[in-house]
Amino acid sequence: MDEAIKNLTTRKSFGKSLLYTLPMFLLTFILMTGGRPDFSDRSGTIALLTTFLGLNILYFLMHYTGKTDKFRAILFIVFALTLSFTLIKNTIDIRQTMTYSQGDILECNMPFCHLVIPMLILPAAFTQSIIYPGSILGGFASISAMVVLWLAASVTLGRGFCSWGCFYGGWDDGFSRFRKKPVIRKISDSWKWMPFAVLLMVALTSALALAPTYCDWICPFKAVTEFEQVTGIESAAKAGIFISLFGGLVVVLPVLTKKRTQCSYLCPLGAINTLSNKVTPFTVKIDRQSCNECYKCVQVCPMFALTNDDVKNGNVSIFCTKCGKCVDACPTQAIHYGIKGVPANRMVKFSRNLFLFVSFLFIAVFASGSIITVIKSIVNLFI
Amino acid sequence: MLDSFILGLSSGSTCLITCGMVIFPYLMAGTAGTRKIITDLSFFLLTRFLVYFILATLAFYFGKVIFTSPVFRNYISGILYMLFSGMLIWYAISRSRKPDCPAKIVETVNNRKLVPVLLGVVNSLGFCPALMLILTKSATEGTIIQSYLAFLGFFAGTALYFIPVPIAGKFRKKKVFETIGVMATGLAGIIFMIKGLTSLIGGIIYG
Repeated sequence: MDEAIKNLTTRKSFGKSLLYTLPMFLLTFILMTGGRPDFSDRSGTIALLTTFLGLNILYFLMHYTGKTDKFRAILFIVFALTLSFTLIKNTIDIRQTMTYSQGDILECNMPFCHLVIPMLILPAAFTQSIIYPGSILGGFASISAMVVLWLAASVTLGRGFCSWGCFYGGWDDGFSRFRKKPVIRKISDSWKWMPFAVLLMVALTSALALAPTYCDWICPFKAVTEFEQVTGIESAAKAGIFISLFGGLVVVLPVLTKKRTQCSYLCPLGAINTLSNKVTPFTVKIDRQSCNECYKCVQVCPMFALTNDDVKNGNVSIFCTKCGKCVDACPTQAIHYGIKGVPANRMVKFSRNLFLFVSFLFIAVFASGSIITVIKSIVNLFI
Repeated sequence: MLDSFILGLSSGSTCLITCGMVIFPYLMAGTAGTRKIITDLSFFLLTRFLVYFILATLAFYFGKVIFTSPVFRNYISGILYMLFSGMLIWYAISRSRKPDCPAKIVETVNNRKLVPVLLGVVNSLGFCPALMLILTKSATEGTIIQSYLAFLGFFAGTALYFIPVPIAGKFRKKKVFETIGVMATGLAGIIFMIKGLTSLIGGIIYG
């Protein structure tokens, strides 16, 4: 058994890991510099090089150690924190406050976020109009750019988008790692269908009200980005909902359950991404022959994607976000990244290498901008 | 009208799962063609429409008698919204909930021609929390037209689910649809709870 595990391990030598990192090294450099490196700005250069090196060190470590989740989570959490900082900084620079007014909505000055996408589909189909008050092509975070990026990431990674591309998932991912053991263990499996109910409600209410109702009333991340100016009972109720949901689903419940509760119980985009797991070529596979049914994968899964029955049947459910936590936790390497159509326990290393390359490239593209902005701001404080 | 429609849509999915299986055999039993099914379904929906029309009228005039001042209206409607939406949320989360349809009563009726009409009456008068919320809304509207529109929205939202009744038996993942429907009902309850809370606070502050 030990020899078999040794053969299956995805850990590589230093030289081989370096070789695997080289294409990422070149691609991230081109993407981050736009192919035209400009080192005239000192703080900008420091920020760019720090981000560039940081990203590639993490990618190198994924290959060198054979572990995925730990290094992905570092980048994912940093991404969420820096993005919130960047958004707050931008809104304060433009509006001198974290709040937005009705005037900002009328002038379409709202940065677009991928969580709005489920609300755009029905109104766009029936009225040929975009209901979100943002810029379609230009400006900061345009609607078209976000939709294209999300589509590309979802088709390629499926629900892997939720662990490798989402701007906010790092918040509850981070809080779910606070405790070593969960306080709340027994949670009904049926709650995982909640995002579909939320999706149903927000898609219908948005289509009927021709307004992004999720952003207006529910989104917990309004608490760490921007929210409507409190001018009356309704806007006060909204602010109360944003803060309560952020506190409950992003902070408290992830700490108590060690699960990503906002992503699992609320996010309507997560519901759509769950369906996109049907089209992606990448998946997580369980090799029944190597599995010793210790169920460590079920315990560590942060997304309610694995049950004991799933393990017994050798299937990972469509709720999987391919974060790699179960893969890293498996003592017999029975659970691994795979490609659809290829049987479990075949092409394990190739599948992982290919998946890591694609998914890391997505998170590097999404995260680098905001990380550079934050490092630059910090460097500017000292220079 | 919008929130009534949403309430109808969200609670209608649960209604289809729990009542669809009772209504479907009665609409289909002994019939051969789609024409008969469509006729029976039309009678069923028409009866529901008429019952809702009567309920909207009664609720509006009852509301006029009870809600004599705008402040009183805010207080009472706020409390009623919170009470019924609380019941709706409880219905969604309660594990002891019995998924029985009140329309089962038609099992005792022998006259086949009367069945769609009776089903329509029983189904409309199954005083569930969702219907209580619409009654409250209807009673607090300013004009009788608004009261009718509130019920029309609710009727339209729930009626949508009865249209595919003849194919309801073919749903493969009935349990999943039921779970999502029940959760959506709970979410609609939360929306009305917030509506009730803002109405009550509005009454206190501006009263």
